[in-house]
Amino acid sequence: MTARSLATGASSGERAASPSVWSRIWQNDAPGYLFLLPWFIGFLGLTIGPILTSLYLSFTHFDLLTAPRWAGADNYVRMFTNDAKFFASMRVTVFFVIFSVPLKLAFALAVALLLNRGMRGLPLYRALFYLPSLLGASVAIAILWRQIFAGDGLVNQVLALFGIQGPSWISNPNTSLWTLIFLSIWQFGSPMIIFLAGLRQIPQDMYEAASLDGAGRWRQFWKITLPLLTPVVFFNAIIQTIEAFKSFTPAFIISGGTGNPINSTLFYTLYLYQEAFGYFRMGYASALAWVLLAIVGLFTAFSFLTSKYWVHYDD
Amino acid sequence: MTIEPMRLTVVTETNSAKRLRKRIFSVVAHVLLISASIVMLYPLLWMLSASFRPENEIFNATSLWPSSWSLDAYFRGWNGLRVSFGTFFINSFIISILSVIGNVAACSMAAFAFARLEFRGRRFWFAMMLMTLMLPYQVTLIPQYVLFLNLGWVNTTLPLVVPKFLAADAFFIFLMVQFFRGIPKELDEAAVMDGCSPWRVYWKIMLPLSTPVLATAAIFTFIWTWDDFFGPLIYLSDMRQYTVMLGLRSFTDSTGLSDYGGLFAMSVLSLVPIFLFFLFFQRLLIEGIATTGMKR
Amino acid sequence: MTIRIDRRHFLMGSTALLAAGAAGAMPAWAQDTRMRLFFWGGQDRADRTYGVSDLYAAGNPGVAIDGEVLPWGDYWPKLATQTAGGNAPDIIQMDYRFIVEYAKRNAIAPLDDFVGGTLTLDDFDADQLEGGKVDGKLYGISLGANSVAMMVNTAAFEEAGVEPPNRDTTYDDLRAMGEAFKSANIRGGMKVIADGSGTEPMLDNWIRQRGKSLYTPEGKLGLDADDMTEWFQLWAGMRADGICVDAETQALDTNGPLENTMIALGKAAMIPSNSNQLVAHQAINKDPLTVSSYPRIAAGVGGGHYRKPSMFFSIGGSGANKEAAASFISFFVNNPDAGKILGVERGIPCSAAVREAIAPTLDDKSQVALDFVANLGDLLGPLPASPPAAAGEIDVSLLRTMSQEVAFGARTPEDAGPAFVQGATEILERAS
Repeated sequence: MTARSLATGASSGERAASPSVWSRIWQNDAPGYLFLLPWFIGFLGLTIGPILTSLYLSFTHFDLLTAPRWAGADNYVRMFTNDAKFFASMRVTVFFVIFSVPLKLAFALAVALLLNRGMRGLPLYRALFYLPSLLGASVAIAILWRQIFAGDGLVNQVLALFGIQGPSWISNPNTSLWTLIFLSIWQFGSPMIIFLAGLRQIPQDMYEAASLDGAGRWRQFWKITLPLLTPVVFFNAIIQTIEAFKSFTPAFIISGGTGNPINSTLFYTLYLYQEAFGYFRMGYASALAWVLLAIVGLFTAFSFLTSKYWVHYDD
Repeated sequence: MTIEPMRLTVVTETNSAKRLRKRIFSVVAHVLLISASIVMLYPLLWMLSASFRPENEIFNATSLWPSSWSLDAYFRGWNGLRVSFGTFFINSFIISILSVIGNVAACSMAAFAFARLEFRGRRFWFAMMLMTLMLPYQVTLIPQYVLFLNLGWVNTTLPLVVPKFLAADAFFIFLMVQFFRGIPKELDEAAVMDGCSPWRVYWKIMLPLSTPVLATAAIFTFIWTWDDFFGPLIYLSDMRQYTVMLGLRSFTDSTGLSDYGGLFAMSVLSLVPIFLFFLFFQRLLIEGIATTGMKR
Repeated sequence: MTIRIDRRHFLMGSTALLAAGAAGAMPAWAQDTRMRLFFWGGQDRADRTYGVSDLYAAGNPGVAIDGEVLPWGDYWPKLATQTAGGNAPDIIQMDYRFIVEYAKRNAIAPLDDFVGGTLTLDDFDADQLEGGKVDGKLYGISLGANSVAMMVNTAAFEEAGVEPPNRDTTYDDLRAMGEAFKSANIRGGMKVIADGSGTEPMLDNWIRQRGKSLYTPEGKLGLDADDMTEWFQLWAGMRADGICVDAETQALDTNGPLENTMIALGKAAMIPSNSNQLVAHQAINKDPLTVSSYPRIAAGVGGGHYRKPSMFFSIGGSGANKEAAASFISFFVNNPDAGKILGVERGIPCSAAVREAIAPTLDDKSQVALDFVANLGDLLGPLPASPPAAAGEIDVSLLRTMSQEVAFGARTPEDAGPAFVQGATEILERAS
């Protein structure tokens, strides 16, 4: 954008008087802005206000019940100098992101590839694999997960057949986070569907041409499928990472909002939520949110910068 | 591409070996898929069986098969709250359908602008849009509530539906941008050469070629709106306006008595519409460039 | 379980009948007043509460009450959001933990002006009235008296051949019972008691028996590092000897639904709880349950218990219908017919007249709970000062976590004692 707007900015002065500028703007910019009109109304009318308010609140002490008091950078200073829980929750979240996102994506892609072949019963499998994702994070999940991962739960019953005595996975601080990672992977339906949609967009004749050239399946995957799928892989990776950083509901319902045992499932946003609504520190919570935004934003910007080396668009 | 004659000969040469390989692959794939399905489905089967169990058996049953079957929990759950679940289903359905329409229409327009049109500030607005994805909703909740309160929208479904018509969910814009960019650009360039307006390019070329992603967006919008409970929780107060998810949460209270039978029974029922919606729209997933015969 | 529906039908029927007789003189403010009543709870409580609000509306034409009930976890964020938006409900169910927070910020209104006028509290229990005060002003009307109590599975005790606990049981007796449970080895190694080291009311009860309190009237920490070390040691010992449940099992209880408690899971024969939860616990437990007092620290030492308001009704600070809301609350806590609908679901009614009126209508378990609270005797100590606003944070984010750290061996009790005091002091300072 910068180069382009700089160029137009420089020339706009000399051409401002000429009517052709307006027709030019109309020609160049109007369709874009017209198509964006609904989004603009929503963004300016509904979205940006609350976002800027939260940015302002992050520089205040705000207890929800009385007016916010200006606090300068207090919240941010405290976070980095005097808040062990901030670092603890960040560690839990980063661990979760590192393990859940790649595993979930790999699983989703593998199943999507398998399901993309012309096999019988495909719609059925697709539906079955998507079913867990339908559940979202309802209360029922909290109970199900206990039935499976508690000391006398299903997993340990199976392990007992092999003479292994497992721990109470869900309530042991060493393993509890893994049950949440597992939950995240189990609900791999959405990225799977997006991969499937992406696979369907790859023109079939490319494969036909490739097999004529004697390329095997493996080669076809590396030479055709994967490159053409990179926009979708890129999308899924970014979205899943953002979502994992923001992950809240699973830990909330499974740990009863506590993040226990011993804060082992204290996700960043769960901590943020406790601060905001449990202890009436919305100012501090807003500061936490903006630090998260900075981290995720940097990650996303970095991904976009590197994307031109590995994401293949057709345009 | 003139490959038709050659192709025929190649196919006949390796026909039998290929068929055998295909068969083996197919068997292996099915075995894999079936065993994975069981792991995926166990928790749901547990829930299904819990919904048919006598109330006192739910938490200490060892087998998936209930000792006795009872539809009690379904009747109890359906009428267990002040307002019948039928009302919740209707409310959820209306909100979800409206959201699908709004989301698909508004997001595809925005995505078309970002993916195909040149205009000043495009990258800036795109970055702004992505930013809205990154801020946890917990901190914008209260300013947003105040906003909707001033608009007089609290206690109506407007805060849940109107943002969808204004493309407020950046996820879908980003998703569609990625897919639109995968559509060969020569197509719309040719159209523009022929004097097509951007609107016609969007309407006649982009949308028809994007069935898979539009179906994906429709599926996700429907399911996520259906599953959403935080928005309805904050903005709806009258039980007659409740959604299914809000109703489900009313079955359990950590400080007193909960009705888990009713919870599971209604949870099972609540899956039915979204599952049907998925089944219906997933057929559109497999249409698209690959089957419409579009060649580059 | 058709009982639930039947009961509601019954309630609705009786509502109409009672309403016919209840219609009296109409006060001036009753012209088309619409009030919002917001409370947390399950379906049973909702049915009872709506029964009373219908009854009230029937007797006060022109008044409409829009009730909304949510589960505990959903209730607080919504209340905070509404309050922050200046859209707080007229009548708000309030918890002991949050009343200071809301009162100090004028999010709920002082009720003193209404007392004697719209709000009749003539035969209201003095200690329950006191419990609703913050800085000397009345902010909440108690909806029921309540006491901490051990929830006891009598069948399990019988099975283990152990005499169930009574009002004289001490912590030492508990150890003896635990040993007996160990040797009896019933139901896959059921322990006599859950791990109570992270249960704030149990710590509170224990420290009160030592003549101290968890918090001073000035809102400072009332115990010191040695107290806390000893507390953690007490439970570490019981854990090591298999008297109470182990760390992993205890961590299954997230302080969420009752279904996750050690007694409901069949892991312990008794758990620290509250007297008014007997009915709810019984409903999900196949074994007969009863309540007993918390253990004494030594024979003859009492004073740990007190009659705590289970929850309050408060009035929103910015509402336009305060007078009408006060009138409804008055009806809610004083009207005998309302009392019969409510039963002891929120605790023992605080009006003597209502207690009398409902006594014959109570079922067995409700009667047990009522008798327990009425006969605490020497176990009863003075009502503690209202806790500082940060008490909730200390409980949730410090005590529970630290008790788990000790239980899982990440800290020694000797280390946890001073660490707790330091952590609690920091939280208190930050909040002030």
